Amino acid sequence: MARTLVGQRIRDHRKARGWTQAALAAHLQISPSYLNLIESDRRNIAGALLKRIADALGQPLEEFDGAAERRLVDDLGEIAADAAVAPLHLAADSAADLVARHPGWARALVALHRSARDRQEAIAALSDRLSQDPFLGDAIHSLLTNLTAIRSASEILESVADLEPAQRKRFVAIIAGDSRRMSDVAHALAAFLAKAPVATGPVTPVEEVDDFIFDRANHFPALEAAAEALALQIGASPTRLDAALAGWLANARGIDVRVGSANGVVSHRPRFDRAAGMLELPDSAGASTRRFAMALAAAELACGDEVAAQLDRTPLLSAPAARRRAERVLHSYVAGALVMPYAAFQPAAAALRYDIDLLGRRFGASFEQVCHRLATLRRPGAEGIHFGLMRVDPAGFVTKRLPLPGLALPRYGNACPLWAVYGAFRTPGSIVRQLAEFPGGQRYLMIARTIEKDAEGFGVPPRLLSVMLFCDALHADRTVYAGGLDLGASAPATAVGQSCRMCARRDCGWRQEDPIMDAGMY
Amino acid sequence: MSAQVLIAEDESHIAESLGFILEREGHTVVTVPDGETALLRLHGRLPDLLILDVMLPGLSGFEVLKAIKSDPRLDSLPVIVLTARTQPRDREMAESIGAAAYLTKPFSNRDIIEQVRRLTAGR
Repeated sequence: MARTLVGQRIRDHRKARGWTQAALAAHLQISPSYLNLIESDRRNIAGALLKRIADALGQPLEEFDGAAERRLVDDLGEIAADAAVAPLHLAADSAADLVARHPGWARALVALHRSARDRQEAIAALSDRLSQDPFLGDAIHSLLTNLTAIRSASEILESVADLEPAQRKRFVAIIAGDSRRMSDVAHALAAFLAKAPVATGPVTPVEEVDDFIFDRANHFPALEAAAEALALQIGASPTRLDAALAGWLANARGIDVRVGSANGVVSHRPRFDRAAGMLELPDSAGASTRRFAMALAAAELACGDEVAAQLDRTPLLSAPAARRRAERVLHSYVAGALVMPYAAFQPAAAALRYDIDLLGRRFGASFEQVCHRLATLRRPGAEGIHFGLMRVDPAGFVTKRLPLPGLALPRYGNACPLWAVYGAFRTPGSIVRQLAEFPGGQRYLMIARTIEKDAEGFGVPPRLLSVMLFCDALHADRTVYAGGLDLGASAPATAVGQSCRMCARRDCGWRQEDPIMDAGMY
Repeated sequence: MSAQVLIAEDESHIAESLGFILEREGHTVVTVPDGETALLRLHGRLPDLLILDVMLPGLSGFEVLKAIKSDPRLDSLPVIVLTARTQPRDREMAESIGAAAYLTKPFSNRDIIEQVRRLTAGR
């Protein structure tokens, strides 16, 4: 196969870790100029030095010695054999060429091929389910049978002029009886289809994690307890959380907590390298970001077992990627509980009428962090309002979702453009509140605001996202956001839907596509 | 043209309406609720036509059809198969076993009448 560009790989990994050439050379005890030759692929290396470099970069040796490339070439060979591309007669040596010259593109091809195959399998599973599910089969058979009886009897009533009264009565009775049976089956079918997405199971890691969080109502008593124990252990108090966290990380766990970066590479996101014992807090990050990053590092270090126990108990996370993602989510949960302890936060939330900004100031947390915490207040005996949460980017992509039982959030594509979460982009930084009414008459209070992520200073626009909390309109009067709103059942509300495909408002000017089902949905 | 029609259909409401419209067409109709009874009746006097539902309790319509078509005494009997299943393989199955016609529920009375007329013409 074509020569692999070992040096380039070393450089990529070094840069990914934010190290300078000088820093890595010093670590390896070689001269920077020698490392430069290696990285430029002007020196071939192997053996002990390559192993040391791999170790220093935290990568398996195969990442550099060609084994990874060979596997990639094999994977491409598998793609070449796929019926969909077989007519292209892709040659084996060109795969090796692609891997050597454009390894990223080669990996992208393999990843896309895998994801296409996963999808094919998911589609096959769903289609099997539809055609073989005994309940669905029986239900459809019953519907067709009842419908046949109704159709036949009604055609007789329509076309036979000389029916005797007794016969007429008999056929009307048949129609009435079969209509009743048909209604029962239709109800059962609707209930079955409403449940079906959960029973079918999600297809991607993101969905698995969503389902897991939803299944637990985004409240984890064991993690709340773990956060409380950790707070005691680190000596945290609301007034000296930062110092307590920094002290505990440094003294109890030997973590080097730095503001700024160790090697002069400017990063705008916190970076915790557990193996290297280093937590870098970018000097450009706000106080709440730094505090949360320290809390997150502490959660990872101290509560790994509790998090693992949560994940071990659930059958909902089948894919390893889903488990890793869920781990990150639960570590963040613990971090949120450290920064905003339940016992203090829940009463404060109620007293401040869920004012997100005031809560943020009191607990030193960002708008988004407070929203997240507000969506966890489900402790029996000390419950807060049940909030759902959603975060979208300006293209409408849903990047975080915690639905409420009555209000599902779309898994794919976009929600209704009339929702406050989208409206908030019109007035960045200002809170938008909305009393939204769905086609079935259910009303929700929606509270949304944009947030900025990773501000890097002039010339680089920060990422703008919109975060929305929402709750049943029944609870709206307990929040500061209902001030001045008429919450009466007949008061005007914004007429919204869930998404075009699920919405029965045919005359909506925003409609982009037809509903998949008609008004029967609601 | 008056014909003897046997209907094997377990859904009594459908059987009742079918019987009514075919009798109005001048045919003589006997209705049975399952496949075994249908086969028993066929071994008595052979009707001119069998209307056979697929989803019958006990012996399925396909099994009944197969038994008819493998019995030299019965295999000339034209059979209209009724089904609430819409997979193409059901139609293929019915046709390969020798159904004379295949109607999917919900059919119209007119469809049945036309098929019965076609299959009993010349009797």
